[in-house]
Amino acid sequence: MSDPSAQKAKMKSAKKMRDLMTAYYIDALSAGQNNKRVAWITSGGPVEPLLAMDIIPVYPENHAAMIGSAKMGEDLCTKAEEMGYSTDLCSYARADISCSVVKGGPLGGLPKPDMLICCNNICGTVLKWYEVQARFYNVPLFILDTPICHTGYTPEIAKYVRAQIDEYIAFLEVVTKRKFNHEKMATVGKLSLEGQKLWQKVLNTTAHKPSPMSAFDAFFFLALIVTLRGTQIAVDFYTELVQEMEERIQNGISVVPGERYRLLWDNLPIWYQLKWLSGKFSEHNACLVADTYTSAWCGTIKYIDENRFLDSMAEAYTRIYLNIGVDQMADQVLEMIKFYDVDGFVMHSNRSCKPYSFGQLDIMGIVQEKAGIPVLMIEADMVDPRNFSQSQVETRIDAFMEIIKQNKG
Amino acid sequence: MEEIKIFRDAIKDIPTLASNIKKSHEKIVGYLCSYAPEELIYAAGFHPMRLFSSKSDIILAEDHLQTYCCSLVRGVLEDSLSGRLDFLDGTVFPHTCDSIQRLSDIWRMKGKYDLFWDVVLPVKLNTQSAKIYMKDVLNRFKTDLERAAGTTITDDDLNRSISTFNLIRSHLSKLYQLQSRNPGILKGEDLYSIVKGAMVMDRDEVARLLPLIVETLEKTSPPESRAKRIVLSGSICDSPGIYAMLETSGAVIVGDDLCTGQRWFEGRILENKDPITAIAERYMDRIVCPAKHMNPVVRGENIVALARENKADGVVFMLLKFCDPHAFDYPYLKEFLDNEGIKNMLIEMDDQQENLGQLSTRLETFIHMI
Amino acid sequence: MIYAGIDIGSITAKAALIEDGKLIDTLIIKTGYNHLNAALKVFDALLEKTKIRKNNVAAIISTGYGRASVTFADKALTEIICHGVGAYFMNPEIRGIIDVGGQDSKAILLDASGQVVNFAMNDKCAAGTGRFLEVMANAMEVELDQLGDFSLRAEKPAKISSICTVFAESEVISMIANQENREDIIAGIHESAAARVAILARKVKIKAPVVMTGGVARNVGMVAALEKHIGMKLFVGAYPQENGAIGAAVLASKL
Repeated sequence: MSDPSAQKAKMKSAKKMRDLMTAYYIDALSAGQNNKRVAWITSGGPVEPLLAMDIIPVYPENHAAMIGSAKMGEDLCTKAEEMGYSTDLCSYARADISCSVVKGGPLGGLPKPDMLICCNNICGTVLKWYEVQARFYNVPLFILDTPICHTGYTPEIAKYVRAQIDEYIAFLEVVTKRKFNHEKMATVGKLSLEGQKLWQKVLNTTAHKPSPMSAFDAFFFLALIVTLRGTQIAVDFYTELVQEMEERIQNGISVVPGERYRLLWDNLPIWYQLKWLSGKFSEHNACLVADTYTSAWCGTIKYIDENRFLDSMAEAYTRIYLNIGVDQMADQVLEMIKFYDVDGFVMHSNRSCKPYSFGQLDIMGIVQEKAGIPVLMIEADMVDPRNFSQSQVETRIDAFMEIIKQNKG
Repeated sequence: MEEIKIFRDAIKDIPTLASNIKKSHEKIVGYLCSYAPEELIYAAGFHPMRLFSSKSDIILAEDHLQTYCCSLVRGVLEDSLSGRLDFLDGTVFPHTCDSIQRLSDIWRMKGKYDLFWDVVLPVKLNTQSAKIYMKDVLNRFKTDLERAAGTTITDDDLNRSISTFNLIRSHLSKLYQLQSRNPGILKGEDLYSIVKGAMVMDRDEVARLLPLIVETLEKTSPPESRAKRIVLSGSICDSPGIYAMLETSGAVIVGDDLCTGQRWFEGRILENKDPITAIAERYMDRIVCPAKHMNPVVRGENIVALARENKADGVVFMLLKFCDPHAFDYPYLKEFLDNEGIKNMLIEMDDQQENLGQLSTRLETFIHMI
Repeated sequence: MIYAGIDIGSITAKAALIEDGKLIDTLIIKTGYNHLNAALKVFDALLEKTKIRKNNVAAIISTGYGRASVTFADKALTEIICHGVGAYFMNPEIRGIIDVGGQDSKAILLDASGQVVNFAMNDKCAAGTGRFLEVMANAMEVELDQLGDFSLRAEKPAKISSICTVFAESEVISMIANQENREDIIAGIHESAAARVAILARKVKIKAPVVMTGGVARNVGMVAALEKHIGMKLFVGAYPQENGAIGAAVLASKL
């Protein structure tokens, strides 16, 4: 993954993060030689029970983001198209599906899964994607079905998801032929919660003016809370990262030199354009101080009880940002606008992500009305650059920043 | 046939149909998905009405849904915002797909109608916990309907509803069997009108008319047919023009895997057990939609069996552009058919306007090839 | 016996005449608004050109977008079937056809006997069609038929990433604004269109030898870009645009 913060005061943690991710992938890729099992799991899926069973979790979505950052998306998406997958489908899924077949991408393909764990709290696409992979690899698939909470978490949903957590554990016991380790689970649960709290702390440091880091850094530093949530490694790393951010604040180091404008980002990153976008906003002395995407991995802390981790996990995983009604999402956006004190809202209308993108226009209206700040919508795609027009986006960003400058003087 | 004409006329003018229904029914409840529990709506004394896009230009919906949302979802929202669905008293959304999930939010936030329900059914249909959840959700919906209707829905109400829907569904099955045995006994467009009518017309009238149609057809000697036998697969087919186009190209539809076809009406509800349990079981066991999960290969096995049973010369996938669940399944369904040597082709359609020129080129070529 | 094929495309109308399994001649005119008129005009003009009397033509098959409008034809068949037959008639070795016309691009796979066994067409988007190249030629202020020569002179083709014709045009315009090398931009345009068409070719698992037909086959830049993308040589016959009409005439002889 390219580090978009290269042109600024270097962050010490960036190198460490790369080393940790490299080690993690080497570990995963050599799982077979070390008699370890690999599970592929969706980005919003409950990873903790896997760790409690010493199963190595691998995230095709993280891998697809790497493909996007490495600018390998177009080629792999095209290959998927040739296999019959419509160009309108999610580019993460397309890139991953063809990558499995051609062993492409920055790693030459992910390690073969022994099982697939699919949680549909982020979208219905993952269900179809994992069915494709279940057929391709011919391995068992477990689906954690988390009904969307349009207006709330009903008792029926609570009962259903909780029952599935037990099914999940039974599934792991069958696949691994081992008893579930409840003791280890308790430890992992505590580490997971601690990691999430630290990640939240990292994100909170950008409320400071000027901001020590930007959403572009968050996109980069996110990888660990996704892939190593529930490990000591993540806890240690984020402890250091919080420290580094606090030092930057004390020393007055801002990520955007001469930060004058603060913006909030919505939806997934445009992985193949991070550097350009980051530079583009910097030119305008604008910093994307926060986003709705990276906060998804610490947005349900309030539902987790570390002493009843498995029980409370059902609720936490079901009530994540994407699995709630659009009006509730808008409320969270408004809270973020207040907390980070932003001057403008940038929405990525992402052709690859329907649950994230449909409803954005309504959120836009709510934000304009209630927060009274300008909103920009960019139409693009997270991995497939063929749905992105740099010149069009550039014109829009410039116009948007002009409005913000007029407003703020 | 007079009875078929009733169907044809009814679906031509939905608002008029709705205002006639209003005279005898308390309320009209719209839905967009074949998993909507119509039996409960009907048992509450309400009229369940499936919504289709009127295919008007998208103007107001542009402010809510981007262009990469499918034409059905955008079209129905346009109809609602422009007042074309003002006959509705409410809507029910069983969780269908990512797009309809967000349509439900937008619909609810707009608050145009008195009644609104999300009935978030399980996506998984192969576990005991999902079955329990299915029942729980249906029971909750029943309670919500009772509140809206100001009455209690008794087991007798439910049983009456179940037998009406069983009758409708089994007669639609019979029609399809007749068409498959004697292709051309019904014009494709008539079959389309009957099936669509059964989703929007007064169900008691549908239940009265269907047996008459089946009876008449059973006595009709079928035309000699040398047409190529086609099975359609996809989500909705709301383009009667397609049937005519296929027929003029020398083909006939002998079966389908559509949610406006066999996926919607195949599968009966058991009549001598707890009605909610029986309804839940039918929704768990019916032919699965790609937005639900039974097992990773069930739809592939289904499409092959469907083609075999109907002695199909070919399968035409008619997919709505931007429909993710179907687009994800297409490559594997194609592979299953290819492995069995069953010819197939894909058409990507837009519900709004059909590029008929290119479409007929493809269909004719395909029919020529098989 | 003499047989005729008439292909009414979105931009041009083509006619072909064959006699005893040999091609007599062909003709191309602009289609215009009225398909039937175009058909009558191109047919009459070809008869005029070859000095053949109308009642000596034993049968006519129409094809292309406007095939149904050709009321005087004995039968209408799709251009895919006709392209297959036409290509096979011109060269029985041919197994693959890539046809890029005004509105459509297609890839067709034939078996050893010239039967169409598989085909793929672009969806309703104009990427990778003649129309796309036309829009781009306008943006570049280059005549459409010079586009190919320009692209062959490129040193480093520009990267046009957008699939959408409108997006791609705005990309091209911003490249012009940056004063990027004209030949490079034009080569990039061909690359982008060829990439779209190549997907169709791979979808049908095209086999060599492959012939390219349709108006765009006359664009050397597009042929070169496509050859690179599919990794096969493309043959362009003497009548790339009339291939559909020729196939229709051959089929008329079998009525």
